[in-house]
Amino acid sequence: MAGRRILLGVIGRPHGVRGLLRVTSYTADPAALASYGPLRTEDGRVFTLAWRGEGIAEFTELRDGVPVKPTDRAAAERLTNTRLYAERDRLPPPAEDEFYLADLVGLAAVDGSGAALGTVRVVHDYGAGASLEIAREGAGPLLVPFTRAAVPMVDIAAGRLTVLAPDEVVGEMAGEAATGDDAAGGQSRSAPPADRPARARPTPFGTQPRGPIVPGGAHSGGAHPGAAHPGAAHPGGAHPGGAPADGGPPGGEAAGFRSARGAHAGAEHA
Amino acid sequence: MTRSVWKGPFVDGYMLKKAETARASARNEIIKIWSRRSTILPQFVGLTFGVYNGHKFLPVQVTENMVGHKFGEFSPTRTFHGHSADKKAKRG
Repeated sequence: MAGRRILLGVIGRPHGVRGLLRVTSYTADPAALASYGPLRTEDGRVFTLAWRGEGIAEFTELRDGVPVKPTDRAAAERLTNTRLYAERDRLPPPAEDEFYLADLVGLAAVDGSGAALGTVRVVHDYGAGASLEIAREGAGPLLVPFTRAAVPMVDIAAGRLTVLAPDEVVGEMAGEAATGDDAAGGQSRSAPPADRPARARPTPFGTQPRGPIVPGGAHSGGAHPGAAHPGAAHPGGAHPGGAPADGGPPGGEAAGFRSARGAHAGAEHA
Repeated sequence: MTRSVWKGPFVDGYMLKKAETARASARNEIIKIWSRRSTILPQFVGLTFGVYNGHKFLPVQVTENMVGHKFGEFSPTRTFHGHSADKKAKRG
């Protein structure tokens, strides 16, 4: 960990004619960029910054301890696209069970028996808890939630973490979808069940059937283009699992929630 | 009365069954789902779902604050990794 540097921001375009510059901050709190003290560039130069507006800063380069400021726009332009780094040691220690993403990325992942699984490539966090994406050789990436149950041991100093990959349960059973179990609300993402008509395909000349046209078929998608059968024209009794006309819970649906097929039974023919 | 009040939240029915099964088993498991449109119900709090984003199943640990949102909101379909910098992750 010692000696590592972390990218904290990038200098952007000049602002005005007095040497101010826009800054893209990558820190969790953008304003905290100035709190890390002097920042280094890739070529070893040292800068300090002072905020002069939202996202606008005044930079000072320290040359042998002597502060030098860009005073005009031309001097500021020469700093554009300069990357700003800080030493990893300058980051404050995280709280218990908190880890810097920069520390987690690159750790070796091992399973409970110590066998290598791969390397942590990305840490995802979209508001529903962090998860680790582990790159594996010869297999697709493994995604595990960053919880005590799935990742019981994290050893930053040793550069590895233990992963107990949770069991995966398929939420949508293929068998349920194929049987069209309305009580379970199962639905198929592949071919529609045999008792459901194929959707009509819109064309410049109206709707064209995907499936074969059944002459006189009451529910053939081709025989009944959408305008002829709006959803409201099919009460719940006509379609298994459809929404009743009185607005009550769909037939066969548990707990009063709308099921997928119940809610969209009318739309199938629209 | 608004439409969403009298009609109730939408959820794919099979997810209720799966949630009950997972809660009863009390094992460390991820329920893989494709139903990004389903509303997160109070019955799902504490469970972990793998929500498909068209590419992979992103783990979603359901908490109380997420009730009423849709599963798809927590599994973005566009890739944006951003920069780690000083950002932290808390182990749940």
